[in-house]
Amino acid sequence: MTSGLRIGLALCFLATAIATAAQETPAKHARVELLSRQSAVAAGSEIQMGVHFQLDPGWHIYWVNPGDSGQPPAFKWKLPAGFTADEIQWPRPERIQTNPQIADYGYHGDVLLIVPIHVPQVTNADSDKQDKLQFAAEAKWLICREVCIPEHAQLGIALPISAKATEDPSAAKLFAETRRLLPRSLPRGWNVTARSTHDDFVLAVAAGKRILKAEFFPLDPGQIDNSAPQKIQPTPTGAKITLKRSDILLKPITVLRGVLVIAGGPAYRIEAPVRQKIQ
Amino acid sequence: MKNRRLMLRACVLLALMASAFAVKVGDPAPGFTSVDSNGKQQHLSDYKGKYVVLEWHNQGCPYTKKHYESGNMQRLQKEWTAKGVVWLTVISSAPGTQGFVTPSQENEYLQTMKAAPTAVLMDPGGSLGHLYGAKTTPHMFIIDPNGTLIYNGAIDDHPTTDQSDIAHSKNYVSMALQEAMGGKPVAAAATRPYGCSVKYKD
Repeated sequence: MTSGLRIGLALCFLATAIATAAQETPAKHARVELLSRQSAVAAGSEIQMGVHFQLDPGWHIYWVNPGDSGQPPAFKWKLPAGFTADEIQWPRPERIQTNPQIADYGYHGDVLLIVPIHVPQVTNADSDKQDKLQFAAEAKWLICREVCIPEHAQLGIALPISAKATEDPSAAKLFAETRRLLPRSLPRGWNVTARSTHDDFVLAVAAGKRILKAEFFPLDPGQIDNSAPQKIQPTPTGAKITLKRSDILLKPITVLRGVLVIAGGPAYRIEAPVRQKIQ
Repeated sequence: MKNRRLMLRACVLLALMASAFAVKVGDPAPGFTSVDSNGKQQHLSDYKGKYVVLEWHNQGCPYTKKHYESGNMQRLQKEWTAKGVVWLTVISSAPGTQGFVTPSQENEYLQTMKAAPTAVLMDPGGSLGHLYGAKTTPHMFIIDPNGTLIYNGAIDDHPTTDQSDIAHSKNYVSMALQEAMGGKPVAAAATRPYGCSVKYKD
């Protein structure tokens, strides 16, 4: 065998190896990869994919509402024919306050942004079971510490088709852990409403039990003042949370949407109807 | 006498800072005195009767770079100052942080970038930034000839670092100036500013 052929074969082998496994892409201050919870795709099923960020200490990326500065990550998908990508499922954010005037919402450390992918009833590759399906995402994100760096990467993964979707055990663990961080709907019997006053919104949380510590993350920018401290007042059946109105909010709002994180507990999706102040 | 007046002005400024960290559209824009990159004192009151644009700036921030490396910000500065608008660029980066520059470094930058603001206000202590509640670079404010704040927010409607977005963006500053000069109310008078956080001292 000539050495040229040998190198060629080695390259082919390498290319195949890369195509079957998710690639971890080194980026500035982070490693980023596209993961799939399933190791094989079944027609008509839903698969869970996710962009996994492992951020260097001190660096952060942003939530869907980044707060006062920054920008959320965005993915542009290139999927096999008939496949569709859902919205990003954002885990509960953390408040990142660098000074009394500026507060952002985002993530440090290890972050998985899950995106459900819908598989059509019939896939083109059905006839040839050897074929692997290629999934690609062009990811753009902003990573910040004291300074911010816009980043992007082409991420990809290949999955075989099988009669039944199978889970990749190591990925499944990370997906399951992340799903616990996703905001859930309010428990039955809970109720959250908001009242608009001159300077504030007062969230009234009725939970049937006292809430000592909680934090609200607004989904829509420009409604509440991100950097103002949130005042929480426990009540026998829940809590009242006072949120300062944003200076750039000029018109009344009818709903305050966001995520309510109960300290030491879960995060809930909130859609509080806003009652206007009585003039 | 002059010293006493200066002192009084400083006290008023401090009182304003303590009372509010931000300004609201429709309210009188708080007055200020600041030193520009040529060492000249700039008073907001000097520009009564004119439209004044305030542009928060950090030359290292990728969002600021989007608008300077594309020439978009310079284009706006030239267009509006030619129409009599006063354009004040403000640098609130604290020493040792991104975007902090000495006056001569800033003047060099203005020349290299062919930027054309009326003046650049050096605010390394951040007092002007805090007075207006400037959060990002860029963050834009517009004051009308009566001294009322008529715009607070983003430069445009595409919160990205991509220069290719500028062509299909709605520029809120130009829209507000056009409307106000045409005697119309400003439709988008307050928007969420986007960019890097202002690199304040504290």
